[in-house]
Amino acid sequence: MIKLIQILIEGALVGLVYGLVAISFVVIYRASRIVNLAQGEVLVIGALLLWTFTAGMKAAGWEVPLIISLAMTLAACIAFGLILERFVFRPLISQPAFAIFMASVALLIMLRGTAQLLWTAETRAFPVILPEGAFQLGPFLISTPLALGGLFSVLLAIGLHAFFTRTRQGLRLAAVAEDHRTAMSLGVSVRSAIATAWILGTVVATAAAIVLLSGRVVSLEVAHIGFKALPVALLGGLESIRGAPLAGILIGVGEALAMAYLDPLTNGAASGLLPYLVMITVLLVQPQGLFGWKRIERL
Amino acid sequence: MLPTGIHFESYAAETRVLKTRRSRVWLAILVAALLVAPFFAGAYLTGIASEMFITLMAVYGLYITVGMAGQINIAQSAFVGVGAFAAAKLSGYGVPVFLVIPLAALCTGCVSVLFALPASRVKGLYLALTTLAAQAMFPIVIYALPPGWLGGLAGMPVEPLTVFGLDLGSPARLYYFTLAIVAVLTVSVFRIQHSRFGRAMIAVRDNDVAAEVMGIPVFKVKVMSFFVGSLFAGIAGACMAYVLQFVTASSFTLFASVWYLGMLIVGGLHSPLGAILGVLFITIVQESLHKVANTLMQLGAGGGGTLFALTSIILGGCILIALIFEPRGLAHRWAVLRKAFQIWPFPRS
Repeated sequence: MIKLIQILIEGALVGLVYGLVAISFVVIYRASRIVNLAQGEVLVIGALLLWTFTAGMKAAGWEVPLIISLAMTLAACIAFGLILERFVFRPLISQPAFAIFMASVALLIMLRGTAQLLWTAETRAFPVILPEGAFQLGPFLISTPLALGGLFSVLLAIGLHAFFTRTRQGLRLAAVAEDHRTAMSLGVSVRSAIATAWILGTVVATAAAIVLLSGRVVSLEVAHIGFKALPVALLGGLESIRGAPLAGILIGVGEALAMAYLDPLTNGAASGLLPYLVMITVLLVQPQGLFGWKRIERL
Repeated sequence: MLPTGIHFESYAAETRVLKTRRSRVWLAILVAALLVAPFFAGAYLTGIASEMFITLMAVYGLYITVGMAGQINIAQSAFVGVGAFAAAKLSGYGVPVFLVIPLAALCTGCVSVLFALPASRVKGLYLALTTLAAQAMFPIVIYALPPGWLGGLAGMPVEPLTVFGLDLGSPARLYYFTLAIVAVLTVSVFRIQHSRFGRAMIAVRDNDVAAEVMGIPVFKVKVMSFFVGSLFAGIAGACMAYVLQFVTASSFTLFASVWYLGMLIVGGLHSPLGAILGVLFITIVQESLHKVANTLMQLGAGGGGTLFALTSIILGGCILIALIFEPRGLAHRWAVLRKAFQIWPFPRS
């Protein structure tokens, strides 16, 4: 029994990290109607930027306090988001969804190539940003960085939800997510919406990288988390920010249970397949996810 | 556009792909050139050409699913992999090659239908995500199956290719083998456009709600487009298995799928000519990059990683440039050029 609950707790905490990556998907979709397949690569770029401004600069002889490194990473993320908006997505405004989707696929390859060219494929130690270790809660052992990260993703989801539904700026973004042309004709700036979307997306992805990698190693392989978070975003609903952590918990718990009880029987395949099977089931049963918008088609 | 004075008296003449005698002569010259090429090109170039033909088969399949029916498929490489593993397994049982290729294609088609089923509920982007799931699940399944079935992590050897007791192991013979198959597929892909099924797919691509109103069974057409596209992928996979003599799951990655899609986009989504031009263009770019990188490596700069990174950046750049500046691809540029040549000395309209 204690083992089961321990598995559930760990699964839920890992799931909240997936949820955090899923939030970075949803934020971009919710503000600009772009499904960004390259989110895993964006996360890796964020992590590598942070590595450059901490360990990399230390190795080069310019050591700066952590706060300043974080601020520099934030600035770099904003610049990165603006570059993507200006050179990739601004020319594609109001193009069919196919073109925008393919642009994100092209971006995936390009970002991976760029990361490999600038930082090479070697693995590096990621700086310790969240406190290490674990604490005891009754009979259960809980990892401190994961718990802090989970708390952070729940708070972030609540905050972003308030931003998207309560503020004027957020409601404008919702209009862009509904339809580019209609939004433009109503005087909403699609350009600034897409720029905001990408800045938010890269910043949230970098935050997810901090939670995921703090004290571990960063390599190009980390980008796989993007494809794991995609089913989470779909399950929660691509338009729903509050749905992402919840769906993350569901998938994380499911994965942990599959890993503990089904993997020995299936040669380790069950936990890997589970997120994708969930994704296909969601698409078959309720395509808009748990809390997504239902679209009605007209001729 | 046609030259002055060409007109048609029957529908059959109008749907013909090669409309004038001159274009038929050009095609005959091209075929003759392809037939004698191995006598002049070295083994290296012949090998690259057969590889290119195999890629072209897979991209034809993608043209049917993505270009004609408008359903995004980012798992073409996984489907090619299914074909390759099916061919490897069947050839291991001693099945002759002219049965292996159709059976491998059929296997692949059936697998792809499983992932096309969500088309009953979702469309567009969401359907693309189910193919992404197919791509992600493919290696997990292959690795987890017992090694006796599909080779597991190590991979599977393929029996050498023999047709009627004739060994087709040499590069030149493999070239003719792949050329023959790609010729058959080229004819069929050009014909599909004018068939009832092809027109139904184009209607679904242009507006699926309107197509449904007109009485086209949209769901069936979507599933069929995946099935037919994967038949091509399966044939490509079987050929690849025979050419490489060994299959592992690690050669059928998401990246390869994206390469296939990239070739189609750069060439032009809306005609089979686009598939041909795209494959040709990207192969040339890739090979010249290899040349440049080899020279650089001999001079002592960079390594394999840099080469891979550069190819990724250039391919991604090609797709983005094509999407932003010329969504109709090289095929459209070719049509413009041809028209300008035909109506010279008059200016282009």
